[in-house]
Amino acid sequence: MNDMSGGPALDECPADSSFRFTGSWREFLPIALTNFALTVVTLGFYRFWAKARERRYLWSRTHFIDDAFEWTGTGKEMFLGFLIVAAVLMPVILFVNFGFQAMVLRGQAALAGAILLTLYVGFFYLYHVAKFRALRYRLSRTWWHGIRGGSDAPGWDYGWKGLWKSAAGWAVFGFLVPWSMTQLWNDRWNRMSFGGHPFKADAHENGLMRRWLLLYLVPVLSLVILSMALAAVAVSLGTDLEDGTVESSAIIVSVVVGSFTVYGLVLLFGLSFYTLFFRQVAAATSVGGLSFVFTARTRDWLKLVLGNIGLVIATLGVGLLFLSYRNWAFVVRHMEASGVVDLDLLTQSTARAPTDAEGLADAFDFGAV
Amino acid sequence: MHEAWLYDGASAVRHRVTLEAAGPALGIRGAPDPELCLGRDELVHVESRADAELYGRRSVPGWRLGVPRPVPDEIAALLPARQVYGRWIDRIGLGKALAAGAVASAAILFLGHKAPALLAPLVPYSWEQSFGDALVGDLGGKFCAGTGGQAALDAMVAKLTPDPARYKVRVVNVPIVNAVALPGGNIVIFRELLAEADGPDEVAGVLGHEIAHIDNRDVTRAMIREYGFGLLLASVGGTTGGNVDMLASASYSREAESKADEDSIAALRRANVSPRPTAGFFARLARHEKGLDGWDGALGYVSSHPLSEGRRRRFEESAEAGRVYAPSLTEEQWAALADICHNDSNR
Repeated sequence: MNDMSGGPALDECPADSSFRFTGSWREFLPIALTNFALTVVTLGFYRFWAKARERRYLWSRTHFIDDAFEWTGTGKEMFLGFLIVAAVLMPVILFVNFGFQAMVLRGQAALAGAILLTLYVGFFYLYHVAKFRALRYRLSRTWWHGIRGGSDAPGWDYGWKGLWKSAAGWAVFGFLVPWSMTQLWNDRWNRMSFGGHPFKADAHENGLMRRWLLLYLVPVLSLVILSMALAAVAVSLGTDLEDGTVESSAIIVSVVVGSFTVYGLVLLFGLSFYTLFFRQVAAATSVGGLSFVFTARTRDWLKLVLGNIGLVIATLGVGLLFLSYRNWAFVVRHMEASGVVDLDLLTQSTARAPTDAEGLADAFDFGAV
Repeated sequence: MHEAWLYDGASAVRHRVTLEAAGPALGIRGAPDPELCLGRDELVHVESRADAELYGRRSVPGWRLGVPRPVPDEIAALLPARQVYGRWIDRIGLGKALAAGAVASAAILFLGHKAPALLAPLVPYSWEQSFGDALVGDLGGKFCAGTGGQAALDAMVAKLTPDPARYKVRVVNVPIVNAVALPGGNIVIFRELLAEADGPDEVAGVLGHEIAHIDNRDVTRAMIREYGFGLLLASVGGTTGGNVDMLASASYSREAESKADEDSIAALRRANVSPRPTAGFFARLARHEKGLDGWDGALGYVSSHPLSEGRRRRFEESAEAGRVYAPSLTEEQWAALADICHNDSNR
């Protein structure tokens, strides 16, 4: 343990040692099992507290330079966030499930359609607001050396940016999606800070287009090839088909195998796109003189995903409890930072600590980054 | 003396401090305050790390005291208890919390299952009425009002129950074979059910069944079960959150259906109406369901009141051999009812 009472600047850290994950699955197992048991006997109520406990462990086993992170979020605030969101979303869900059908039956299809469209647009707006707020919440509950992060922005304007940039990204056959993704990454992170230091992000879509087009073309090309192959098989078997069912089951088998192949390819090319995306956005993000590198390659991601699937299957589902642990450890292990942290200059954040937790993000079911 | 470290929550600088017992309080020596005395109430356990316990100070966000393990007993005695699972659970212990949770959730599941039957009789009838009226009002201009049709329908209700004023039975011009009981004594018969029926007694059997659902408060029960109490209350408040479709899709329990059939048969017997035509009606619907394409969507009755051979036989067997039954409506009344949507002057 270095003595830093004099407050000297840390030496420049070697890039591969700034982030370390020191957890072990043996330590995590009792947490996962008791969380699971308590969640079951409380009919799911405990899951907010379970999440807080899990994060407290993962953060505390994540070292940056000379000390671990600390998670201070509580189950209570996440539960309250959930209640608020449930109150907001419940009328929407009721309308979509019951009101819409009732209005159509009564011949008010146009009005019902208009309301539904408005609700959908509102839903996507809230989705983006939630994404912003989830990140803000996580930073505000993440402490290091007694200093936390956060943001003063409420995220309402980010919601509009998210809405129109995503729409623009998908508008021309989705060709501009890499642009909208990197833009929104910048829009989010440029409003965040840690201590007194603002984050700076200037990610660019350059270099992402090739992999995006590959991902984009895989299902289309596969479908064309698959249907051509099927047509050929059907023609050659055409006469036999009328006699028995053996050949038609062969066709079903080849369709199934073909579909799995397409799914596999989409997964592979999707991972390869996201690999590059995360490498680029991480490299384009900095805070207080620190810059980041995310080192995971496509094969690392593939190992993670296949490992997760294998673990869940091999343990008959028990492995599900470990996925958050594995994913977190993966991110930390592939994260590197370089630069200088001047501890004297890293002072407490003045950003408002939000109280509304991640309820909204939780309702839409996604992570912060 | 125990070595520890401290962040003051204002800057990221880590301070080296030493801990010692200062009477009932914890003495902390070193920067930034040369001497600090904190009682156990001012400290809060934050987390257990691999090599240390971490404490915070209630009044200063970000203030952190890291106490390397092993913590000497005289220091540990001055520190607050560890938090592991959350305050309530730590207080009673994990084993007890799990047991209490299991008992409580079993009780909640059991009550949730029983609640509709227990709560339904407690719902004031006037609430049900205002909700039911709102639902029926939704159907607005679709009521059929052919000459003499409503009068014939009312006559049939009067035969089947001693208290006909309790029920508001209407025919709506919607082309499905179904009849539904709604809250507040409202019964809605859909046009195509009359078209499918061969005579008034078939309609009487179905009507008797829906009247029984209302008498047994099955409607309220199903509403509580499927949509919760809150929706009912919200609807009473003026917004018609619910609607006929949702209630039509609310299914009753097997026991409720069986009881409604039993009551319908009893009502037919009191009115001296033969139950055989109703049995025949069920048999025809069941054949339709199995056979003809394109019927499925229109046969709302079959999806909301699953037909079984047992149901048909029950009506069949309740017929008393040798008893002389009277038709539930006269020829003229039936003609008017069957035509209630066709010669409708409102259309």
